[in-house]
Amino acid sequence: MQDLKTDVLVIGAGPAGSMTAKWAAKQGAHVLVIEKRQEIGSPVRCGEGMSKDWLPEVGIKPGKWINLEVEGARIFAPNETVFEINEKSAGNEVGYVVERDGFDKALAIDAANAGAEFLLKTAAVGVLKDGGRVVGARVKQFGEPFEIRAKVTIAADGFESQVGRWAGLSTNISTRDMDSCLQYRMTNVDCDTRYCDFYLGKIAPGGYVWIFPKDQGLANVGIGVQLSKITGMAEARKYLDDWIAKHPAYAKGKKIDMVGGGVSISPPVKQSAADGIMIVGDAARMIDPLTGGGIANGCIAGKICGTVAANSVHAGDFSKAFLDRYDRGWRARLEEKLYRNWLAKEKLCTLSDEIFNKLVDALSTVHLQKLSVHNILKAVRDKHPEITQEFAEFL
Amino acid sequence: MPSKKTLHIESSGQLCIYCGACVGVCPLNCIYLDETRITFDEKICTRCEICVKACPVGAIEID
Ligand SMILES: Cc1cc2nc3c(=O)[nH]c(=O)nc-3n(C[C@H](O)[C@H](O)[C@H](O)COP(=O)(O)OP(=O)(O)OC[C@H]3O[C@@H](n4cnc5c(N)ncnc54)[C@H](O)[C@@H]3O)c2cc1C
Ligand code: SF4
Ligand code: SF4
Repeated sequence: MQDLKTDVLVIGAGPAGSMTAKWAAKQGAHVLVIEKRQEIGSPVRCGEGMSKDWLPEVGIKPGKWINLEVEGARIFAPNETVFEINEKSAGNEVGYVVERDGFDKALAIDAANAGAEFLLKTAAVGVLKDGGRVVGARVKQFGEPFEIRAKVTIAADGFESQVGRWAGLSTNISTRDMDSCLQYRMTNVDCDTRYCDFYLGKIAPGGYVWIFPKDQGLANVGIGVQLSKITGMAEARKYLDDWIAKHPAYAKGKKIDMVGGGVSISPPVKQSAADGIMIVGDAARMIDPLTGGGIANGCIAGKICGTVAANSVHAGDFSKAFLDRYDRGWRARLEEKLYRNWLAKEKLCTLSDEIFNKLVDALSTVHLQKLSVHNILKAVRDKHPEITQEFAEFL
Repeated sequence: MPSKKTLHIESSGQLCIYCGACVGVCPLNCIYLDETRITFDEKICTRCEICVKACPVGAIEID
């Protein structure tokens, strides 16, 4: 393969990468996307649950990738008291269960239609630098090495987040800020297709068990466990298997698929742009630290990233000073919530099962008009004043 | 000089499910995942064992 040249090189064709590619191409930049896998979106590494209110903002139209629409979410305390969150109280927190591989392909098709080119089976193995500036990547396609020179390089390489680190941007996470995840697709289970379910407590330290229904009798059953609470090998799998064994509705099920992965539950990165490079999506640790959902934030930031990339090409300015428009743009849209939810996660990770039981009990008995920190704290104060001091820092 | 512990990443597919969790959490950024092959740089790895715990299925061992 001969060396290539492009305006914008996007590394990774996940949602964040394809969204960036689409918006950069739409605005007139020549865009090349490289993806190390042979098939975009597959294998799936996702629970496939997502909210839906943000889709119009980034220009995604509902498509065949929607599995089903849920009415709400249910939070189960360790004693299995339930608190239901529905569309009215949560607004954006409920939505679709999707076919993630179909979703990722739909986004890639949108980007291709906007003019972006794709190279599959092509992995970045290093970045090219000229002085301090990133000017593209060293890649391998079918094992054959070559170089791609680019005015702007976008690291959209997901949780692995290597490209940004090669370029000198820090995306390292502490063991408190990562969940080790495992999920089975299970058939013959008694799931409720109206709800996405979340089980909290020491059954999943620092994380939760999720049940996202795909169809009658078919669901994604997964777990995230905070890495700092893991002491040995394969603990995520052990916790998940234990939970399933104790729940007859799922213990009778049959596994037809297995998915693993890392989810960052960290505060947002301090720096997302440097000379010639921007990082986006999971690579920039943009997952919501409370819910573990990262599709929406990756797409929202991707749109901003693609727009700034195209503008920088038109301006002929690829400096950090120019690309920081992206840094400021996504922070204005996402950072406050990311930070707030990171603080909430830090708190939840410390709660005992007993406190979780009281918290969920307070929430389920007090009629909440709207889910807000204020209303949650009020419910706790009314129902279980004895645990109010646990949440004093949020007052 | 004390000899370093050995890190084994089982990447023949018997245990590893190629999820990338170890890659993203390695503080030295020294693990690399092809679609179906894991390699790591022995010379850089500090045997911190973070990847051992992060692996959801126990495909990384250290002794
Ligand atoms: C088990 C699990 C369950 C989850 N459940 C949910 C959920 O229910 N809802 C939700 O919103 N989020 C969920 N997430 C998070 C969600 O999957 C991510 O936030 C989302 O995929 C991020 O998109 P992205 O484009 O940033 O990265 P990715 O989707 O990870 O895409 C990165 C792409 O880059 C490619 N790549 C990596 N390195 C290179 C390289 N060197 N060269 C070329 N290509 C490369 C990869 O092959 C991949 O295709 C879950 C994550 C896990 C692990
Ligand atoms: S032991 Fe530590 S340094 Fe070595 S590969 Fe694992 S995480 Fe990286
Ligand atoms: S964390 Fe484990 S299963 Fe996942 S890629 Fe690394 S070795 Fe394989």
